[in-house]
Amino acid sequence: MDVRSQISLVFHLDKCIGCHTCSVACKNVWTDREGTDYMWWNNVETKPGTGYPTKWEDQEAYKGGWKTDGKDLELRSTSKRKIVPNIFHNPSQPSLDDYYEPWTYDYSELFNAPEGDDQPVARPISMITGEPLEIEAGPNWDDDLGGSEVYAANDTNLDVLSEEQQQQMKAIERMVMFYLPRICNHCLNPACVASCPSGAMYKRGEDGIVLINQDRCRAWRSCISACPYKKTYYNWSTGKSEKCILCFPRLEAGEAPACFHSCVGRIRYLGNVLYDADLIKEAALCPDDELVEAQRRTILDPNDPTVVEAATRCGIPEAVIDSARKSPAYRFAKEWKLGLPLHVEYRTFPMLFYVPPLLPVMSISEGDLVRSDVDELFAEIEKARAPIGYLGKLFAGGNEGKVRYALRKQLAVRVWRRHVTVGDVGLEAATQALIEADCSPEEADEIYKLTALSTWEDRFVIPPFQREMAMEMITDPHEHRSAAGFGFRDAPRRS
Amino acid sequence: MLNKIHRLSLSLSAPVAAALLSVTPSVALAQDAPSEETIEYFRQNCMSCHTIGGGPLTGPDLKGVTERADEAWLVDFILDPKAVIDSGDPYAAELLREARGVYMTQVPGLDRAKAEKLVRLIVAESAKERSLFAGLEISDRPLTEADVERGRALFMGTAVYENGAPACISCHTASGIGGLGGGRLGPDLTDAYARLEGRKALSAWLGAPPSLVMQPVFKNHALDGEEILAIVAYLKSVAESEANEGPTSILQFVLLGFGGSALLLLLFDFLWRGRYRATRRPLISDSKHARMGSSS
Repeated sequence: MDVRSQISLVFHLDKCIGCHTCSVACKNVWTDREGTDYMWWNNVETKPGTGYPTKWEDQEAYKGGWKTDGKDLELRSTSKRKIVPNIFHNPSQPSLDDYYEPWTYDYSELFNAPEGDDQPVARPISMITGEPLEIEAGPNWDDDLGGSEVYAANDTNLDVLSEEQQQQMKAIERMVMFYLPRICNHCLNPACVASCPSGAMYKRGEDGIVLINQDRCRAWRSCISACPYKKTYYNWSTGKSEKCILCFPRLEAGEAPACFHSCVGRIRYLGNVLYDADLIKEAALCPDDELVEAQRRTILDPNDPTVVEAATRCGIPEAVIDSARKSPAYRFAKEWKLGLPLHVEYRTFPMLFYVPPLLPVMSISEGDLVRSDVDELFAEIEKARAPIGYLGKLFAGGNEGKVRYALRKQLAVRVWRRHVTVGDVGLEAATQALIEADCSPEEADEIYKLTALSTWEDRFVIPPFQREMAMEMITDPHEHRSAAGFGFRDAPRRS
Repeated sequence: MLNKIHRLSLSLSAPVAAALLSVTPSVALAQDAPSEETIEYFRQNCMSCHTIGGGPLTGPDLKGVTERADEAWLVDFILDPKAVIDSGDPYAAELLREARGVYMTQVPGLDRAKAEKLVRLIVAESAKERSLFAGLEISDRPLTEADVERGRALFMGTAVYENGAPACISCHTASGIGGLGGGRLGPDLTDAYARLEGRKALSAWLGAPPSLVMQPVFKNHALDGEEILAIVAYLKSVAESEANEGPTSILQFVLLGFGGSALLLLLFDFLWRGRYRATRRPLISDSKHARMGSSS
């Protein structure tokens, strides 16, 4: 058992209001430099939709992630054999057009324009060429189903639905959408790291954060093709690739990452989990519909004495193990089985889990009165507007059962809480709903608390980073002992 | 013989004598047998056109040449044949006529001392019953069809030279060797047989190619007699069949180049047919087409 600690994340989609505050927070902190202007380490997509970059889920075109023949794993984008004929140009990368050409506005025109008959306007200016440009696309161009006939209609996940179901989704009175905020998943089996020819990419030993060493990156851009989530980006100014660093400087100081901290809907949860690295390969070879369960198997129970013993043997500090016991990510993903990985069929094992969105609460309006005491208040999940098949394709490698389980449990919690707080649902019906959803009343209360009432401390259980110990993995902390006093870089000396 | 040299040197004009005096040590040396170095030098640079007692090739037989012209004149001629010929010297003009208008090559890097050594070597060799340079022993047997075949194989490089010399095709082309022709570094050899006036001179040329480019290449990889014969046979057959097929033209070559490049590009296009092109723009234009199609 090779136990390691990993920062794991949960996004509760039922709570996301699609406000893009996370994206803006991230942009302001990390990607407002030249060359990074087109990057959105954090972005929020509307589903159904083609996302950013356009149709990133279409691995036929972008060749991201892993493929398997059941015996071995292979990157879809590259291999030792493929790298030679493609040495001058790494193919299968989104072009700037597939992201979008970043722009700003010529605001000075508003103040400096000479007097004339027309109102002065701030023309859009390309942030790359500095020339005026015709805006054709943006990072959230299909927000709220905008341009749905082009974008939503081309969502690759719709392929699993029948023609009839697709038509139903398009019908105006049944139209459905939800938001999908995306950051780097800091995968257990990252394709980007595997593809890097320079060895610039690595997964931090102590917390599993995937990073690009800016000194070693040689702009091969293999990571850009290989990452199925298209979450590594090429900085055209520095000639290095960059990606979400999960705000590790903030984490090391005990702060939540910027996008987590700023989340208005408080949909984001963060905590570490313990996993068994020895199980990853075996898990990655499973068929698509078993992948969710296989990934859950790699996550270990931090309360299990054998796990704790193995973790201690693997050098994980007691404080980190203790933090894993309180981790909301562990509870959502493993204990309650509510958190599901996005596109687990890419076999990178993303450590960002999504709680699938439940159907909207229905009510009926009678004149001025909105009635919320009707039987259909919580409709059957099978009748949900977002077809289970679609969610299954997104979050469970096509295994609808996993999505159904998560939705049913969420629904049962609502029914249970209705019984507890309003009381118009009988104890028997509420208990029955919980039993059907494989949930105990205590668990339902826990889920309710962590979903609806959670504080900063509940949502972000940041493990102690113990940099002083993590440092020992790569350098000897005693190296500079008795060698440095003041002036680390330029030691004072007699001249 | 030594007396003869002394006598000759006495008759030299004053400036040449002065030059000779300045190289007295080498004169002293030359009074012994000619050095290996000089023999080798002669073999590599002179033998392709001259024999000593083997009859004329492209250039005249050098046996007893010092009786036909004095040594100073010979040295001057060796150092810069064209200058002497162009100066209107009657003997030089006659030589040019005998060589059917082929000027003797000016050997690069040759200096007066070396030229004198060469002359001395010729004198020494002329005195011998059979000189080292009586000419390559190449059989006089009639050339057969098999020789032509073998010659073609050697030319094309499908057969290998015994001493590891490079195949002719790497630098030369000739009529009838196929679409792409041979190399373009050396001249087209289609009419080499005619140019060198036949078998004997061509064989001698091949025995020690004197040209600036070939000389260093073949220095340590000489062709043997049978190989020379085969090549001669092949070049003869090429020259004789040349009437119905002209030398490969530059235009043909250029056209082949363009055609080949186009084919290669098509091949690349096919091999990388699964390459990524674009996503968003096609998405927009496709759905526009689809909408226009459904509305009409």
